Amino acid sequence: MSIQWPLVFFTLFVGLGCGIFVGSVVLTEWCGKAKQIRTISSSIAIVALGVGGVSSTMHLGHPERMFGALGHPTSGIFMESTMIGLFGLAIIVYLLALRRNASDRTCKVIATIGAVLAVVLAFVNGHAYVIAARPAWNTLILPLLYVASAGVMGCFSLSVLLARTKYADTIATIAVTETAATAETSTTTATTTIKRATLIALAFQAVLLIAYLIHVAVAPYPDITRSVMRVLTGNLALLFWGGVVLLGFLVPTVLMTKFYTKNTESISPLTSVKLSLASVLVAGVAFRALMFLIGSSIKQFF
Amino acid sequence: MSQRTMVVDLDRCIGCKSCEVACKHENGVALGCTWNKVLTVGPTGTYPKLEMYYLPTMCQECKDAPCVKACPTGASYKSKDGVVLVDKEKCIGCQYCMFACPYGVRTFNEETKVVEKCTLCAHLQAAGKQPACVEKCPAGCRFVGDIDDPNSEVARVIKNAGSDSVHVLPDVGNQPSARYILHSKIATWKE
Repeated sequence: MSIQWPLVFFTLFVGLGCGIFVGSVVLTEWCGKAKQIRTISSSIAIVALGVGGVSSTMHLGHPERMFGALGHPTSGIFMESTMIGLFGLAIIVYLLALRRNASDRTCKVIATIGAVLAVVLAFVNGHAYVIAARPAWNTLILPLLYVASAGVMGCFSLSVLLARTKYADTIATIAVTETAATAETSTTTATTTIKRATLIALAFQAVLLIAYLIHVAVAPYPDITRSVMRVLTGNLALLFWGGVVLLGFLVPTVLMTKFYTKNTESISPLTSVKLSLASVLVAGVAFRALMFLIGSSIKQFF
Repeated sequence: MSQRTMVVDLDRCIGCKSCEVACKHENGVALGCTWNKVLTVGPTGTYPKLEMYYLPTMCQECKDAPCVKACPTGASYKSKDGVVLVDKEKCIGCQYCMFACPYGVRTFNEETKVVEKCTLCAHLQAAGKQPACVEKCPAGCRFVGDIDDPNSEVARVIKNAGSDSVHVLPDVGNQPSARYILHSKIATWKE
């Protein structure tokens, strides 16, 4: 089938928002590190959610009738809309709690609820495509890949925020040495944590991608339009190897290695993680486009 | 439970596409949209044993229609007599029903921004007439009726064909109710 671009960007931005928020909650509320990024990461998450939401309406022929979806609670669109609403609400409440200097316990509880909603939303986003009529999509590996993709994008986004914070702190050192040194120590610890999380998310995503390709290879009703050969060596090979593998795994891994080994001769740490984030975002688009291109129905008569 | 559907006798179909034209004309189907389509299956085999048949395709009137389940607004629904219909006033044009259809027999009208499909000419049947494709078929290969009623014409046609010659499209739990008749002496049914 043809690529549904509004849905590609809808799931990409929603995944991005979910990933940033969950990563931020784990890092700041559960691990107690780099708390200074809580507001900015949550704000970015809700903006990403909004951009995704707007993108999804561009797919609709009649968005003005959207409220009719409230009458059919089992559909994928209802689930996605509801989860976006609840997750958005959780972020707003969390931001208000931060703004009003609520207790750590209150913030942690609200953030945890939001994080659970985010994980469910990322899963629901992918689950909407688990359809028996489309053999290449009819697997629970797909929603898990959406969750992994959200995790990877979230980790790299947080890396950028941490690198920026570190950069800002370094400048601040000139003025207030002691405070900046404390902040930098906290950020360094957080950087180590996010490094581990990024590697785990990338490994998780790689395993799921291989599992997904195996599913495509053995899915019932085989057809050339959704064959694994088309993906690996056919007309989708460039999209897969270049977009998904190279940009999704190899480039960010190399750039992250540069960042963490402090090899700043050729490229600064901040630039390194920024490029990594851009790379995984493009890879996210590539994977979603690939998914649509192999998502042919059992029979496509018209 | 009533289940109106279509039975097509492929032994008789001559591939003239009169059904396509009649449908377009009767329902005002827009340019670029399709409610039914005649495909050519084959030729297959090696000379002199070659086979080919025509396959008129349209909504398979699934008993457990996935398009109805996928529709977020209830625009896609099953009528009392089991026909899958679209309420265009409720359709938001999300096309998830098209994703859910195993046969790709729904069409998106770019002008009205809603999804359309074969209605089995419900408006004609309500007036006691046959659907346009059935009425105009010069080979008389199309039949419409309640497949759950043993006294209906479709049930009689299926019974006369013999169970070995009655075929159904792949079923992924949607239970398509449409049937195709093709005897092996004409051609071998291709899945």
